[in-house]
Amino acid sequence: MFVHLQGPWNPVWGRLSLQAIPYQNPILVGTFLFAMIAALAIVGAVFYFRAGPYLWREWFTTVDHKKIGVMYCLLGLVMLFRGFIDALMIRSQQAMAVGPHSPGYLGALHGYLTPFHIGQVYTAHGLIMVVFAATPLLVGIMNIVVPLQIGARDMAYPYLNALGFWLTAAAAALVMLSLFVGNFAHGGWYGFLPYFELPYSPGVGVDYWMWAFQLSAIGTTMGSINLIATIVKMRAPGMTWMRMPIFTWASLSTNLIALTSFPVLMVSLALLGLDRYFGTHFYTAGQGGNLMLYNDLFWVWGHPEVYFLILPAFGMMSEIIPTFSEKTLFGYATMVVASFAIGGVSWGVWLHHFFTMAAEPSVNSFYSVTTMLVGIPTGVKVFNWIFTMYRGRVRFELPMLWALLALFLLLVGGMTGMMNAFAASDYMWHNGVFVVAHFHMMVLLIASSIFGAVEYWFPKVFGFKLEQRWGKWFFWFMVLGTAWVFVPMFILGFAGMTRRLDYVPVTQWAPYLRVMLVGMAFYVVALGFFVAHLYVSLRDRMKNRVGADPWGTTRNLEWMTHSPVPAYNFAFIPRVHARDEWAWRKEHGMANLGNESFEDIHMPRNTGVPVLLGALSFALCFALVWRIWWLAAACLGLVVLVIILRSFARKTDEVIPATTVAGVERAAQDALASPARG
Amino acid sequence: MSASTNTRMQPGSTVLWEKGDAAGHDALGTRTFGFWLYMLTDAMVYAALFAAFGVLAHNAGLTSKSMLASVFDAQAAYRDTIVLFASVLAYGYAMVALKKGSRTGVAIGIIVATILGVIFLNMVTGDLEHLFSQGVVPQLNGFLSIVFTLVIYHALHIVVGVLWMLVMLMQMGRDGFTSNVVYRLINLRIFWHFQAVIWVFLFVFVYLQGKVI
Amino acid sequence: MSKRGIKGALKALCAPLLLMLSGCSKSGLFLLEPKGLISQVTYHYFNLDVGIMLLIIIPTALLAIWAMWRYRKGGGGDYRPEWSHSYLIEAIVWGIPLITVGVLSYLSIKAIYQVNPYNPGAISSKGTAAGKPLDVDVIATDWRWLFIYPKQKIASVDRLVIPAGVPVRFRLTSTSVVNDFIIPQLVGMIDVMPGMRTKQALVADKTGQYVGYSADYSGAGLSWMNFETKAVTKAQFAAWVKKTQAAPQTMTYADFNRFAKPYLAVHHHRMVFGRVQSGLLDYVVREVMSGKVWRTPMAMTENMVRYMKKQQANVKAGEY
Ligand code: HEM
Ligand SMILES: [Cu+2]
Repeated sequence: MFVHLQGPWNPVWGRLSLQAIPYQNPILVGTFLFAMIAALAIVGAVFYFRAGPYLWREWFTTVDHKKIGVMYCLLGLVMLFRGFIDALMIRSQQAMAVGPHSPGYLGALHGYLTPFHIGQVYTAHGLIMVVFAATPLLVGIMNIVVPLQIGARDMAYPYLNALGFWLTAAAAALVMLSLFVGNFAHGGWYGFLPYFELPYSPGVGVDYWMWAFQLSAIGTTMGSINLIATIVKMRAPGMTWMRMPIFTWASLSTNLIALTSFPVLMVSLALLGLDRYFGTHFYTAGQGGNLMLYNDLFWVWGHPEVYFLILPAFGMMSEIIPTFSEKTLFGYATMVVASFAIGGVSWGVWLHHFFTMAAEPSVNSFYSVTTMLVGIPTGVKVFNWIFTMYRGRVRFELPMLWALLALFLLLVGGMTGMMNAFAASDYMWHNGVFVVAHFHMMVLLIASSIFGAVEYWFPKVFGFKLEQRWGKWFFWFMVLGTAWVFVPMFILGFAGMTRRLDYVPVTQWAPYLRVMLVGMAFYVVALGFFVAHLYVSLRDRMKNRVGADPWGTTRNLEWMTHSPVPAYNFAFIPRVHARDEWAWRKEHGMANLGNESFEDIHMPRNTGVPVLLGALSFALCFALVWRIWWLAAACLGLVVLVIILRSFARKTDEVIPATTVAGVERAAQDALASPARG
Repeated sequence: MSASTNTRMQPGSTVLWEKGDAAGHDALGTRTFGFWLYMLTDAMVYAALFAAFGVLAHNAGLTSKSMLASVFDAQAAYRDTIVLFASVLAYGYAMVALKKGSRTGVAIGIIVATILGVIFLNMVTGDLEHLFSQGVVPQLNGFLSIVFTLVIYHALHIVVGVLWMLVMLMQMGRDGFTSNVVYRLINLRIFWHFQAVIWVFLFVFVYLQGKVI
Repeated sequence: MSKRGIKGALKALCAPLLLMLSGCSKSGLFLLEPKGLISQVTYHYFNLDVGIMLLIIIPTALLAIWAMWRYRKGGGGDYRPEWSHSYLIEAIVWGIPLITVGVLSYLSIKAIYQVNPYNPGAISSKGTAAGKPLDVDVIATDWRWLFIYPKQKIASVDRLVIPAGVPVRFRLTSTSVVNDFIIPQLVGMIDVMPGMRTKQALVADKTGQYVGYSADYSGAGLSWMNFETKAVTKAQFAAWVKKTQAAPQTMTYADFNRFAKPYLAVHHHRMVFGRVQSGLLDYVVREVMSGKVWRTPMAMTENMVRYMKKQQANVKAGEY
């Protein structure tokens, strides 16, 4: 229907048939078994402990920003694992398939992955890491921390918050499903035109990619609306703009980027969809289409997107470094200006992602210069962090270690970014592994900040600290892995090696590729330490319980309530008197948590509608991927109906009575006083 | 010099915690603010589409204008414009009635706006059907692809608006002017006006451009 | 683990350091061994760019390490928790990046004009002394390179032969998707796009063999879509042209339509064509613009070994 398709189609099943299931591929069958065993174990455990109702009541239907944040983080971690497995496959394939005499297995001429498979692995790795690992982790942490930092009881739109999460989760599920039903896109995470048009990508892979991407874009846009409105409208009394914690500033700037750029991504993908489903000619090479239009639209989103990812990471560093330097952040105002400068400039640089498309030299010059301009505020941030440590008392606890690693990665990533911005040099390695190494420095910086932030805020959310011994092993092996993978990758960049190769024709590159595999082994060990870190922490959770301020030198509002944070965040909304309010109160001997004559608190009520909408969107996208029109129409109709019906709901709020509040507050205080504290 | 040192206060006299339900922020304002943010994303979508229009028109070169001239009937579009603007005006009257708290006033305004919206949709789909039947379809070339996409995307907004107005009629009938109903009516006004603004752009770039050479 | 295994593992462990320090084996590090005018100019600016940045980055890194260490808790550095602002320092931290970026921008713009693919300053500044340029038309198919010498009316597949010391001007297009044309030791990337024509120019300094390939992802055959560049003396080039003109195979527009079908160039089939119908590149651009496509089959390389067998059978049957 609509367009000419290769392969069969029928009205009931669309393009779906038994052939769509890759039961002949041992790797995928193995993965499937692993996934099934894991799923069975989880489902079994849920039934065994009768946790179903609890999970549904307390988690799936929750509108509590902290719980949604935790679920975002869990989703991010799971996808991080999946993306890591993809990375292992890429590295091992390239280490094996060098030179014409390297052996081949499983239908591959060299190595064990054919172009058909490694193409999917590349695409999935990139998309997952950017959209389904980094983004949910960052959004999750913003979700948890921002309302606490501004002294709010919840987000501006708790229901929208849950919806954004469930759409993201549905999108992630769609990517995972493509492993076992059909296949994924075969190009690269950002899409290639006209390669992604039907004649050159006739399968369902691109459709999976497109719909998963689209769904997550909608989810993230909703999240950004929510965070911006929360920051603008929900700050505690007394919190003027210039008293806002720096992480909140970072969240504001980053979400402004998301709000304005994600719609452009949606358009770029939607037009591709029209081409693929209706046979229009937006991006075709012929008939008045324009394939560069896609590149422009995509990167108009794509470049701001990378700053969408890094600004919260900068914000996290700016929280962690002062705490563990026992000192105020140096140059607060500058930091704010720098964040917005980065956000602003990031809109005017997108063309640097295709310097090689033969634009006029004047055009390339313009974008080369604007790109370099980004380096200025970024450099300023580095200096400010250094001067925060200067005249401080630096404690090398785990969060600080991660933040410092991030700082050094930023030096490398920033410098190589500036090298990319030098267009004449970029001609030599655009589409090469040098660029890959550049952005991995940046993305690992983000990952480091995230790990640091998790270590840092974990006690706030769960009420106990993570242990430090295994965590340090994990840290150091991550450092080792990073060195062993990316030093050779930079060298290969100078060798002129290009990206997305299934087979490496230049035999001189073999040693570097093997060394990278050693780096991957370090990463695998690091993963083991991470698991140990989590396990030991969970085991010793009673021993490691903490009070409101586990690090002793924290500065902001989020540390002015109990750990774990009660459902209503603050029994009383704090009044803010200074930047770094908590530090100010400690300094002035006012560090009590106000605990008499509690009052009723209004909170939004849990609802299952977001889960339902997530599930329906998942089914809708699945139907569209396989072109099962009746199912798509039914799902779309249901989505509209559910939204309308929900708008008729009357009771969306509930009250937590003062007595309950008093009970919770007392219990939190007693828990601390009890001798169980190690 | 940090912010923490320049504000010296007496511990005893400082209010540290807000009593009373301080969570009662400006609820209506928060709702509308969020809707403005949403409108901004929709504006970005249109901006991207119009950018694509510019690029693809450039591709088609001079033929783009003659294509538009031969395809679209500016007079019919003028008629569409009148109807859509009348609908927005009617909605405006509904909002005036809202200020006065008159339920019938609001209802009449919205009903008129809805009917006019449906008429608009009817005319646009009629035009499109006519074109399609003559073989002028989006699949012909890149330029027509974007032209039809713009027109249809706008029409979809009108569909949403009409549905929303029907829902509001029902909710108003059931609940009266509760805060939920009021903020939705205000947001719907933003939405509906925005569609008229977009239509102006469409009218100028798509329907009129062919005529002015 | 065997002794050799352990040794190998040790080697692999220490390798990043060795690789960094020794600098012994430069082979394979193409960008650091430029062999053409354009690539040398690029390399020159690259060195300047990196040098200037290291001037900033290295002291910054040292400053960070110093601050961390000097002001560690219990380390005895003075502790001033309220110190958080200094106009002097702020001026310096904005000033240094600003000045650096200014200098780098100037260099970048200069470099862009020097290696502008359409009219590289590095070549045009030499005027006629550069010699009379050779024209080559490049058509990228899925997944082969066809080099057409329009004046000589010959063509060559996956092998580019050029005279050293003479400017070569390329016009490039693609039949299906976007590729990127690069010969790392001679010239950087230029997009090769369907329905459009781009340009590139280079001069090879010395005779020799250089690898060229496609850099942009173009589908299953990308990894094998490389070509050999042979820079030869002028005399050798003339001889090669003569020999090629005598080759029996010819390429008309109709032949090209068959040639352009998807083909995995695993076993490079380096053909030459003794006569080529003139205007082939423009013909391809026109055809693609009006909607011609060469489709890729579904799930083509799901099993590549099997597909290669099929392809070889097709070649035998004269399908290409
Ligand atoms: C000083 C700041 C930065 C500069 C000057 C810079 C510059 C560049 C340039 C010019 C490119 C294009 C290279 C090419 O494709 O040939 C690029 C690619 C990229 N950069 Fe950066 N960048 C900076 C910071 C960042 C940050 C903060 C991130 C991420 C969080 C990032 C992530 C990326 C990614 C993901 C790509 C490649 C996308 C792809 O091709 O898959 N960069 N960068
Ligand atoms: Cu960028």
